[in-house]
Amino acid sequence: MAIDRKKIIELMSKIDVLPDENGIIEGFNVYVNQLPTSFWNSFAERLTSKAENLEILHAKEYLLYNAAHECGYHTGYGIITSDEWNAVVAPMIEKVPEDILFGAFAVFTAWGWADAEIVELVPNEKLVVRAYNYYESDIVKYGSSNKMSAYMIAGVSAAFMDLAYGGEYDPKGKPIGTFECKQVKGIECGDAYGEFIVTKAR
Amino acid sequence: MIQEVKTSIKYNHTFDPRTKRHYINGFQAVLHCHHYSTLYTQLALDASETELLKDCARDSFREVLDNYFVQNPDISTIQDKINIAIQYFSLFGLGKMKVNFLGDFSGEVELITSHIDSGWLKKWGTYDKPVNYISAGYIEAMFESVLGVSSGTFKAVEVQSIVMGSKSSLFKITRR
Repeated sequence: MAIDRKKIIELMSKIDVLPDENGIIEGFNVYVNQLPTSFWNSFAERLTSKAENLEILHAKEYLLYNAAHECGYHTGYGIITSDEWNAVVAPMIEKVPEDILFGAFAVFTAWGWADAEIVELVPNEKLVVRAYNYYESDIVKYGSSNKMSAYMIAGVSAAFMDLAYGGEYDPKGKPIGTFECKQVKGIECGDAYGEFIVTKAR
Repeated sequence: MIQEVKTSIKYNHTFDPRTKRHYINGFQAVLHCHHYSTLYTQLALDASETELLKDCARDSFREVLDNYFVQNPDISTIQDKINIAIQYFSLFGLGKMKVNFLGDFSGEVELITSHIDSGWLKKWGTYDKPVNYISAGYIEAMFESVLGVSSGTFKAVEVQSIVMGSKSSLFKITRR
């Protein structure tokens, strides 16, 4: 394993993301924003917590997950083709696409999405990710919820597997959904960490 | 590090190596892309929850602006506070804003550029109705924070939209 996760996090987390003269942040082939985490958390939690029944809850949860899935696919591709990636991560890559995946989760962590790393990878089959600290768990301040709520981590994790094993990148996102992710543990649910299992979509 | 962005807003970006979280001026922030922000918007439209999206934006941005003004008591006039709020909007990457007027009972704000609209156009092309509920929430927060009134006092409605083909977006603000 040539990927130096600690070094990637240290270097990539230092990047200041500032807008141009029009207040727009362009980078990684997308328009970027840097909003407070409280905004994303509040919408997701207020939306899902008032679902009248399980069917509606699952529909809303899928849409939140899907937003991250698309985001992760396109932004993930932007990250792994960026100048920053080429300068910091690319020289560490020996095995493709597995090392790219390990590097991508280091950048994922550096961006503040979650302190998340791969704990198991079966190429083109299965990925297990653990998140030891993540903003989506902040929805619970006391006690534990019975609703796994890390839709963003789940969606992006699936997207990274789509990028790794779903074929060539498609700007229209056709490979999105080659893999799917299920959250099986959550800090918001009282677990010590969040755990996410990505497998081929059924 | 602390640096000056444009004329006067302070930008203090820190990364906590223990928790792996980013903070801007003391508030946790996270990088996301236009796919994420526009899909949240599309979700809100599909679920008839655009008011919720706006409310969440207003509540979140209000906290940030209020805190900034408390931490920087030299920013005390309405003009200075508006100037900071305009720059904060850009610092978030949300675009470039022009406040045409702000009063106790009404106001008007123009967006010269917009993250949500540019992102929507890039992802899906034009649309037949306004989509920028996140900025509408920001504008409500700005009016309330600058004037020091309670949350929910103002209502911002997008009456002209870049995503519908206009050169700029226009928001009318009324007191509820």
